[in-house]
Amino acid sequence: MQGFNLLKANIRMEYIEYKRYLPNTIAMLLTFYIIFIGMFAGIQLIGDPTTQDSNVQFVIVNYIFWYLAMIVVNAIGWQITNEATQGTLEQLSMSPMGIWRIMLARLISSTIVSFLIIVALLYLSMLTTGQWLNIDIITILPILILTLISMFGLGFIIAGLSVVLKQIQAFLQILQFILAGLTFVPLTVAPFLAYFPFVKGVDLVRAVMIDGVTLSQIRMEDFMILGFNAVFYFFIGLGIFLLCERVAMKKGLLAHY
Amino acid sequence: MDRVETIIEVQNLKKSYRKRKSKEYIHAVTDVSFKVNQGEIVGLLGPNGAGKTTTIKMICGLLIPDSGTITINGINNQEKRLKALRHISAVLEGNRNLYWRLTVRENLEYFAGNRGASRKEVAQQVDELLETFRLQEKASELVNRLSRGMQQKLAIAVAMLADSDVILLDEPTLGLDVETSYEVRDLLRSIANDYNRTIIISSHDMDVIQDICERTVIINGGKIVTDDKVDNLLRLFEVRAYTITLGGVLSEKQQKLLKLTFPGAEYKEDINQSSVGVDLEKSEAIYDLFDIFKLEETPVESIDRKSINFEEIFMKIVKGEMDDARVQSS
Repeated sequence: MQGFNLLKANIRMEYIEYKRYLPNTIAMLLTFYIIFIGMFAGIQLIGDPTTQDSNVQFVIVNYIFWYLAMIVVNAIGWQITNEATQGTLEQLSMSPMGIWRIMLARLISSTIVSFLIIVALLYLSMLTTGQWLNIDIITILPILILTLISMFGLGFIIAGLSVVLKQIQAFLQILQFILAGLTFVPLTVAPFLAYFPFVKGVDLVRAVMIDGVTLSQIRMEDFMILGFNAVFYFFIGLGIFLLCERVAMKKGLLAHY
Repeated sequence: MDRVETIIEVQNLKKSYRKRKSKEYIHAVTDVSFKVNQGEIVGLLGPNGAGKTTTIKMICGLLIPDSGTITINGINNQEKRLKALRHISAVLEGNRNLYWRLTVRENLEYFAGNRGASRKEVAQQVDELLETFRLQEKASELVNRLSRGMQQKLAIAVAMLADSDVILLDEPTLGLDVETSYEVRDLLRSIANDYNRTIIISSHDMDVIQDICERTVIINGGKIVTDDKVDNLLRLFEVRAYTITLGGVLSEKQQKLLKLTFPGAEYKEDINQSSVGVDLEKSEAIYDLFDIFKLEETPVESIDRKSINFEEIFMKIVKGEMDDARVQSS
């Protein structure tokens, strides 16, 4: 019950921030939409006309996942940096719930609250391009959940590094391009990326949304990789976060002010 | 019995930090041990860099000591950190410990949520705290629009909401105007008395310490130099410096005797009156002084004793005059 209350408190905070600072939320949405328009225009202008439709569909899925990865992985790094500077990170660290549970609640709540924006972006991009993707919830949902778990693991790693490293901002700037790379590169080009966090998940969602693959058509092997990635990256991420927390408590790094 | 009364026990605490880009270490805390009893208000004092904040952060479980133990309500805060944290809350950076983009009420509810409590569970407590801290009218105001004093009060209210036995406050009156500073002092007294909470305050404001703390632990150079009740320290450093105003002047014989008996005495003559400034080593010596005045029936008009404030005492302790004061007192 305490864990549920923790999650509720963080969902509420996330929602309040989105609602109270609506112009910021709209500006963020527009920025991502403009980036998408740029990609779409690029395909229209210089892309191969014979593969134009599939390229557009490919970009829609990729950029939606890029946005999701940014919200889950990158945003937690910025949040930690800001809170360490402000002084609230120390307060959170004094919670008897443990800071890792608060961070997990933050990751889940930002995903839940941002989901509305993600859906809006998805439909906006489909409307703009006229390319309507296959939204098979039953197939997408299990893939998405497993993909998100591995993303949370990566989020934990970034959160841990942000606690320990005061000058992480430069890396966080670069990270958004690394995340773009991981979401945009197809597995056919680099099959080893299947074992990177969330890459396999994006690939499977692409197969569902673009090629209309159903749940029964997905190989068990693919689900195994997805499941392995989810468990592996989540626990590795959590382990690294706890290690970073301990280093921070030894060196007095929980506050950056 | 001792276990019930002692809420915090700090034993042989040590903490060093490695200097950046160097193999040298800064010894922030070298050997700190003290106990705090349930319901006490203890002042943790020391000059800048003495090790106060490091000690407070180690008690809060935000810093891991190199060696030594801290038990909170009988729980070792390194072995069972999260369990120990149930008994403790803190305001470490005052108004910086808040979410400025949330309202007063939202801050209280959010921090309660982060300790696992639902909004419904704390609703009544939030209302009571808003009333106690006189923040009801500002409940829906964003924190960044509040005055520093109100932000400070809210930070203390957040710590109160944790329902912990111990509250640690680092510089609770820093940057506050006189009126708000007094308001915060009253609140802290009320928290200790009405809610039976233990409070540890670290402050540079000696007025605050003298006003609300029963006991003070003074740290200097990472070590405890004094752990005593404020009243005891005031008594110990009580100065026996007097200025006696006389309704006439002293004769030559009296002046010679004064110089002989009290070599450090300062005698000043004015029209139809005079004054004697004297620092007495022992309080009984005042009778010898009066014998000198009685010799020529010189009338005594007033006796003024020089007072010493806690700030002067603190400075004397930090300069190492504690032992001298003990010797003089005995």
